[in-house]
Amino acid sequence: MSKNLNVWFFLSLIISLFVLIPIFTVFSSFFDDTSEYYELLKNTFLIEYIFNSSVLLFSVLVLTFLIGTGSAYLVSFYEFPLSNFFKWALILSFAVPPYIYAYSLTAFFENYGTAYAILKNLFGDGNYNQSIPKFDGMFGAILSITFSLFAYVYILARASFLYQSQNLIDLGKNLGFSKFKSFYKIILPSARPAIVAGLSLVAMETLAEFGAVDFFSINTLTTGIYNSWIAFDDLAFANRLSFFLLLFIFALFILENLSRNKAKYHFNIKGGFKQKEKFKLSGAQSFFAFIFCFFIFFASFLFPLLQMLYWTIKFPENLFDLPTLDLLINTLYLVVLSSFVLIMFSLISNYGNRVSNNKILNIFSTLSISGYAIPGVILAIAFITFIAWLDESVIKSFGLLSIKKIFIGSILGLVLVYFIRFYSLAFNGIKSGYEKINISVDESSYLLGYSKRKTFMNIHIPFLRNSLLFIAILISLEIIRELPITLILRPFNFETFATTAYISASEDLLEAAAVPSLFLILIAAFFIIISSKYILRDNDK
Amino acid sequence: MINKNFFDIKNVNFFAGGKVKVKNVSFSIENEGDIICLLGPSGIGKTTILRTIAGLEKINSGSITLNGNLISSKKINIEPEDRNISLAFQDNSLFPHYTVEKNIMLGAERNKEKKDKKLSLKEIVDLLDIFHILNKYPHQISAGEAQRASLARSLITQPDLLLLDEPLSNVDQSFKEEIQVRLKKILNKLKITTIIVTHDSYEAFYLGTKCGIILDQQLKQFDDPYKVYHFPNSIEVVNFLNRGILIPAKVTSKNTLENWDLGTIEGNFIKEYPKGANVQLLLQPEDLEHDDKSNLKLEVVDRKFRGTNFIYTLKTPSNTLIPVFVHSHHIHQHEVDEKFGIKRPIHIDHIVCF
Repeated sequence: MSKNLNVWFFLSLIISLFVLIPIFTVFSSFFDDTSEYYELLKNTFLIEYIFNSSVLLFSVLVLTFLIGTGSAYLVSFYEFPLSNFFKWALILSFAVPPYIYAYSLTAFFENYGTAYAILKNLFGDGNYNQSIPKFDGMFGAILSITFSLFAYVYILARASFLYQSQNLIDLGKNLGFSKFKSFYKIILPSARPAIVAGLSLVAMETLAEFGAVDFFSINTLTTGIYNSWIAFDDLAFANRLSFFLLLFIFALFILENLSRNKAKYHFNIKGGFKQKEKFKLSGAQSFFAFIFCFFIFFASFLFPLLQMLYWTIKFPENLFDLPTLDLLINTLYLVVLSSFVLIMFSLISNYGNRVSNNKILNIFSTLSISGYAIPGVILAIAFITFIAWLDESVIKSFGLLSIKKIFIGSILGLVLVYFIRFYSLAFNGIKSGYEKINISVDESSYLLGYSKRKTFMNIHIPFLRNSLLFIAILISLEIIRELPITLILRPFNFETFATTAYISASEDLLEAAAVPSLFLILIAAFFIIISSKYILRDNDK
Repeated sequence: MINKNFFDIKNVNFFAGGKVKVKNVSFSIENEGDIICLLGPSGIGKTTILRTIAGLEKINSGSITLNGNLISSKKINIEPEDRNISLAFQDNSLFPHYTVEKNIMLGAERNKEKKDKKLSLKEIVDLLDIFHILNKYPHQISAGEAQRASLARSLITQPDLLLLDEPLSNVDQSFKEEIQVRLKKILNKLKITTIIVTHDSYEAFYLGTKCGIILDQQLKQFDDPYKVYHFPNSIEVVNFLNRGILIPAKVTSKNTLENWDLGTIEGNFIKEYPKGANVQLLLQPEDLEHDDKSNLKLEVVDRKFRGTNFIYTLKTPSNTLIPVFVHSHHIHQHEVDEKFGIKRPIHIDHIVCF
């Protein structure tokens, strides 16, 4: 019975195949002809792209590891002033996308910027510009991405620390290990799969990062893809660059998946779970732990928030000039529509997988969740390539009207690419919920006379209600912060807080970028706060 | 063709993942209300048989009929929701987001129109002693309580056929027997035809009108509990029941045989053997009687106290270990290494040989 090819199977298959379109497109475009730009670039900038991407990646990984693991360790094992506050406050950094962090960094440290203004107010006129460090270029990009993304490592490392058995910690004490030795001999190795999973996510996001590196004019593979399409109108070359980037990202994707599976063992320890007693720090140790966490919290969240707030207050005309209500409506419109579409189809797809239990479908579903690993720029361009091909090769050959306008530069196209990008978020979230429902629950339902549809509607949906709400919040958070897809595919004159901030910043109007950035941070922070319990997995204890 | 049996499973085979899960299984339930127990070790296909009957697995060959209707064959597979068969799973299959009461009441929605058989929530709650957990969610109750709640949900549906998969495996031993008594009473009262899968032979022998022994994905014996215990039809069944040993003996007449250690054993053969035939005699703990005055004395190597009785393990001169049942009120106990007398002549009511 369970192996039947039913309507759920076909619906799931169609959804998975749709999500796979960009990957097929990128791979199939690899052999297309490109313009001279390719030759030009191959001899000049390609090495630079790869070098810059590598430096950025390596630096961000080292810093996010140190900051994420360090802060997770402190809040998980020790009690110090505000340690409970930092536990969730550190994830607020997610509210600040790297490009907004980049604007804040520049706004504060630039010549005659906020730092200068502070010094001038405190000490009077002076030649402070020379003494103020400049966090721009590669260093600025590294800092922006690090402070925006370290929370991936923090969340997963903390969850792993949280679920480590007290017995393991006691064992260390028993063997006479010092705290430091226990940390690197027992605690850290046990949390390694979770940390690697977090670092893989950071790596994928770093390679996909567009806004911050573009702002600091760092040439990476991602900006190269964007430029080859925008500046040189060479879709084929954009796809060729994407192909190289994708190979690299898939390696990370596999690494992340393998690590995540291993990490599960730490989260599912059955029985013997003993709530760890936190060690109370005092004196200098307590002070340094507090300073460390406060610095990260300040640097990652308060600093950009205050900088944007400061400029909003200093240049109030930008606030009044901004069509705030329109931007809010546009942003919420995209959020609600995309969340609804994503959740509905991910539910169908998950249920299809569950009732069909078909190997082919499982393979397609696993492949289709790779969307989150693919940079938004690549997805957007691959989508345009696909629509162009479909239009030229299929639609026009039937003598039908062009479909380009329906999909490119339209809300529909935007939502479809969001769907591909964030499908894994919705699919995996629902899958986690489904994993908590034993298959015998379904079978019991059938045996009570419920059909598949009735089981889905009356048993599964009510059970998954909380998960769905949480997934909707996560999707909203991602869409609010998302930049490249929105930038490339949005309809004419349709702006969100993210695009408005980007456009102002790219026109060197950083003060004007402050207001939409501030709104974006506040809305995202709101979503993070209401879902922090789920994000931190505290409810799983 | 009109089938006179209430339920029939005929030559059913089921394969999954390239492996045989159910091999040529056949048995019948003649009367509505009978209770059948399928007994066997873990992982040999008992649960799979229930799943094929429930329609959760599609059989590869054979047929299953209920009330004269074909419900499963290679070509026909009535969906589980359309069979009016209820299955209580061994593991917790309660709906996690509903309270125990709501879970049970979902079961009550089925067969509402059946007015001839009535089983109220109160009756079932009393039967299984689950009143205190009615307002709790599945994650708030113990495994044993979850199993009773699941059993309640299945019972209240009053199906044509009730399938119970190890229904009391997680229930405390002290409470288990009481539940067994109540369960049997209610099943008999409502005449609910039931197939119970268990690995507990005492449970099977008590509850079952008939018992089936499943070994290696096959039904090895299907008979009354008494016959299954006393007249096992194969060495495999003897080994599975583990209630006796096989010792070598030679048939000396139509009602006697001779064993090197025990001497002459008399009784009624359930199967004829020619004089002089070498056989394996099934010796069960209750076959031998203790007698301190007997000159047949064997060495005690172990003594198990089972509350109502002792089981002595005795070693024969040829190093065979023989279990002997002794009432626990037996005045003096024999320690390990002491000698233990066996009453002679040895008489076994029914002699089972292979």
